[in-house]
Amino acid sequence: MMRSLLIIAAVACVALLLGAVLQPRGYAVRVVCLILLAASLGQCWNIVGGLANQVSLGHAAFFGIGAYTSTMLQIKFGLSPWAGLPIGMLFAALVSVLLSIPTMRLKGPYFSLATLAFGEACRIVATAATGLTGGPQGVSVPFAGNSWLLLQFRGAGAYVPVFVGLFVVVCVAFTLLANGRLGYMLRAIRENEDAAEVTGINTLGVRLAGGAISAALTAATGTMFAQFTFFIDPDIVFSATSISIRAALIAILGGVGTLAGPIVGALVIVPLEELLSAYLSNKAAGIAPLIFGLILIGIVVWRPSGLVSLVTQRRGRT
Amino acid sequence: MIAVLQALADGLMIGGVYGVIAVGLSLVFGVLGIVNFAQAEFMMLGMYVAWFAWRYLGLDPLVGAALSFVAVFCLGALVQRLLIQRIMKAPPVAQIFLTVGLLIVLENSALLLFGPEFRTVKTAYQTRALMIGPIFVSVSYLSAFVAAVIVSGGLWLVLTRTWIGRAIRATAQNPMAATLFGVDTRWIYAVAFGLGTGLSALGGGIVLSYSSVSPTSGSQYVVLMFTVVVLGGLGSVMGALVGGVIVGMIQSLSTLVMPIQLQNLALFTIFIALLAFRPQGLLGSPSR
Repeated sequence: MMRSLLIIAAVACVALLLGAVLQPRGYAVRVVCLILLAASLGQCWNIVGGLANQVSLGHAAFFGIGAYTSTMLQIKFGLSPWAGLPIGMLFAALVSVLLSIPTMRLKGPYFSLATLAFGEACRIVATAATGLTGGPQGVSVPFAGNSWLLLQFRGAGAYVPVFVGLFVVVCVAFTLLANGRLGYMLRAIRENEDAAEVTGINTLGVRLAGGAISAALTAATGTMFAQFTFFIDPDIVFSATSISIRAALIAILGGVGTLAGPIVGALVIVPLEELLSAYLSNKAAGIAPLIFGLILIGIVVWRPSGLVSLVTQRRGRT
Repeated sequence: MIAVLQALADGLMIGGVYGVIAVGLSLVFGVLGIVNFAQAEFMMLGMYVAWFAWRYLGLDPLVGAALSFVAVFCLGALVQRLLIQRIMKAPPVAQIFLTVGLLIVLENSALLLFGPEFRTVKTAYQTRALMIGPIFVSVSYLSAFVAAVIVSGGLWLVLTRTWIGRAIRATAQNPMAATLFGVDTRWIYAVAFGLGTGLSALGGGIVLSYSSVSPTSGSQYVVLMFTVVVLGGLGSVMGALVGGVIVGMIQSLSTLVMPIQLQNLALFTIFIALLAFRPQGLLGSPSR
């Protein structure tokens, strides 16, 4: 556990340092921010996907709820995103609990299918409920100059400390869960649900708690994303491919169920994404996702335990 | 009342086609035990094959669908040998992500190769309609439905009357026993995966006769396909065909009471509810 906290602290320090050194309105610092967001998103997914082995393909639902809640509260009631953030988190946790009622007994691919359908259903609702969300043309976060109170800045540099904060919270939550009582119970359920139930674990309650924490943190990441990009629409924040599957891909690429997994995954995926979109997008739309698909297939077929296992295996650990 | 009858008739005809699309998915699950998230992308490829057959060979999409079947059968069998075979015994996480990866690769390959635009075919009968009693029957729906019925009949014959069909069913029931009786199950897996993806592609060709194709066509049908299959019971061939008709009817009836953009929402809701309460399917018996 100490080792995990040290890793988190080290990554946070490096990110803060980069944020301080790099040109605050430059491109490099923007990439640092994107990496932090991606690592946070992957880590949120890792809480249910890695610890409980429930492969969710619908995390975009919570991401979108977070992004829309804070943004719409700000537009309609002038509420600061700092107030919208916890409201969105609470809302997402509630939705996750409600979603568990039909899905908690589902196993393997059935759970994935149900969550995939749920994410898509949310996208349709957000597109259709024009009064609530602004509909398919999306909404912009009103910009009123640099402001800590409204969590908005010109240039990416000022976001670094905020996103480091988010990253640390999500990673510490994962570490505490993984090493704490709840984490052991989640893993017990993963290994053998019936045995876990027999030993007196309230499998239902544990799953609900894990799912709600993951959903709330995903919503927080969604709010941060909206504050960073200043524009959201249902197809962006509720996207099955670029949010739900990407969250899982980041964790899987690095190593499912490990703290370092989503960090490594984000460090590989985001720069690759940026390179591809810089050099290839104009020539050939679809090349970046195509390469991610190939990476996903490659990882599953040749290295199912992720890139982190390259290091840990050599040291004789798994 | 006439509106309801009209919706039921449309639903029946579209639903028959849904049955053909979904039966491939059910077959893949029934024989290989793999939930293929990429199934709808094979259907999309089938739609493209049928489109090119129409554009350059002048074939009606209902005829071109046969080419779709052949092309995607080969591709599917190849994908099974090269990729799916490696994860046949892997945990569900690996199986989910391999097929999700395939989904992304196929969709974006189509985008790279064919561009984002929607392509449609023109046929002589497209705008015709027959008047049967008080309801209109679109000729393209009707011919699509007839094609779907013929394909279903053909599939039934293959599965029940041929050696390969019996071998496929034996492998689905008990691969070990099938091996003992001289069936090379690894070969059967490739054939079954090719057959399953090929059937969805064939269905895609039929759908093209009244619809359009683009690289995202697959994602339009993915949940629909799974709803049909779960409704009929995963792995059940007959169930998929009946499920298709039911889903077609639900879909066209829901347009009577709901705005069109919420049409898919009804489907998603039914799907999640089905998974939760009747995962063995409405028609299947609780076997697990």
